[in-house]
Amino acid sequence: MGDSQYSFSLTTFSPSGKLVQIEHALTAVGSGQTSLGIKAANGVVIATEKKLPSILVDETSLQKIQILTPNIGVVYSGMGPDFRVLVRKSRKQAEQYHRLYKEPIPVTQLVRETATVMQEFTQSGGVRPFGVSLLVAGYDDKGPQLYQVDPSGSYFSWKASAMGKNVSNAKTFLEKRYTEDMELDDAVHTAILTLKEGFEGQISGKNIEIGIIGNDRKFRVLSPAEVEDYLQEVE
Amino acid sequence: MSKSAIDGPTKGGFSFDLCRRNEMLVKKGLKGPSFLKTGTTIVGLVFQDGVILGADTRATEGPIVADKNCEKIHYIAPNIYCCGAGTAADTEAVTDMVSSQLTLHRYHTGRESRVVTALTLLKSHLFSYQGYVSAALVLGGVDVTGPHLHTIYPHGSTDTLPFATMGSGSLAAMAVFESKYCEGLTRDEGVQLVAEAISSGIFNDLGSGSNVDICVLTKGHKEYLRNHLQPNPRTYISQKGSFSKKTEVLLTKITPLNKLVEVIEGGDAMEE
Repeated sequence: MGDSQYSFSLTTFSPSGKLVQIEHALTAVGSGQTSLGIKAANGVVIATEKKLPSILVDETSLQKIQILTPNIGVVYSGMGPDFRVLVRKSRKQAEQYHRLYKEPIPVTQLVRETATVMQEFTQSGGVRPFGVSLLVAGYDDKGPQLYQVDPSGSYFSWKASAMGKNVSNAKTFLEKRYTEDMELDDAVHTAILTLKEGFEGQISGKNIEIGIIGNDRKFRVLSPAEVEDYLQEVE
Repeated sequence: MSKSAIDGPTKGGFSFDLCRRNEMLVKKGLKGPSFLKTGTTIVGLVFQDGVILGADTRATEGPIVADKNCEKIHYIAPNIYCCGAGTAADTEAVTDMVSSQLTLHRYHTGRESRVVTALTLLKSHLFSYQGYVSAALVLGGVDVTGPHLHTIYPHGSTDTLPFATMGSGSLAAMAVFESKYCEGLTRDEGVQLVAEAISSGIFNDLGSGSNVDICVLTKGHKEYLRNHLQPNPRTYISQKGSFSKKTEVLLTKITPLNKLVEVIEGGDAMEE
């Protein structure tokens, strides 16, 4: 590939106009575990596979879906450690916004600031881009919102989106199943069905994670027992 | 201005560059600006199920009452509250800052905040400013290790106590506590004792006044009783005026005011 000569230096454009490191970062995301999000009429749901490298790993110690503010949550596909760093930075930015303006940070603002951090790492010396794409779910005065942020720092608002290994199948499935007037419960069922599509092995409350936010504007991660209940309903 | 302006981004903390100039101005007779202080009575006590904090609501600026109903009990965490005496801006800012730090800490650890954490954050901040941040605090809360009550002095020293008072009215309030406090008080007894202590400060100390605010903290539950007691109600004048009700109305006549401006037609237009 003619671009390979330029694939080592992050801050150099290739002749075709691409930043190859970002392309590679997207590849890292694409080989990560599937995650998805759906925006319903009265809330947002985000979900992800939680495949552990071995049965010996204590699954309760790992939580892939994280809360950023009481009304905003986030999930990722890609490299877990990069995600941790971004979550830490985003939480701090949300808190600083709150200190300055005494209002909870709007979802778009937090997404923009996180995306700015990710972009900085594509234009600085000696660093590499983050190997994660984020799905940010929030509920503020503008209603329920779902955003996807890529390693390049670009962000998009979605009605429903998926990332990771099974992205094309999942998106096709979502396109068919999505309706504008979906309720939050329907959205959770659809999310589970979408995850089930590409799932290897037996799906259960222990190997998927679901986070929801409804009209109460409180983001929370469902417990494994609650996930099991939804799974029962779907079958 | 001073050299530090060229040094780049501010490193934080106070800049003492203007101290010499200020001293010179004071020598020349210029009176320095005063700041809003909360000449105050703040108290806290540990009771059977948790902690009760109390405060008066008067904010003074020298001899003048600047705010008759200010809030001196500040939120630090869902299970931790803090009463503040001293310079109002300092207590507000420092409690806000620590509250923000604790929120981030809670997200990172996934656990309820502990009172000693708030205590350590506050005292390290105050110590690093060597007493210039004039905030005297009574910090109380209930966490996994139980109920805790601490006092924090502006220089950064702390005490852990079963009952505590701070502020200009602390002597009046402490007198009440020392005579009536005992271990194992019930909630109602505790609230009453705190109200009594604050009232003692309100009536006997000039720097404290107006109403009594109380905050009851127990495991997993908090009760913020804003203006629990209002022993100094304002006596309002009747809105209808100060005539006594026996006044007889003899005549009601409305005279419209004459228009003073005469409209001249065809006058000179105003020059633009």
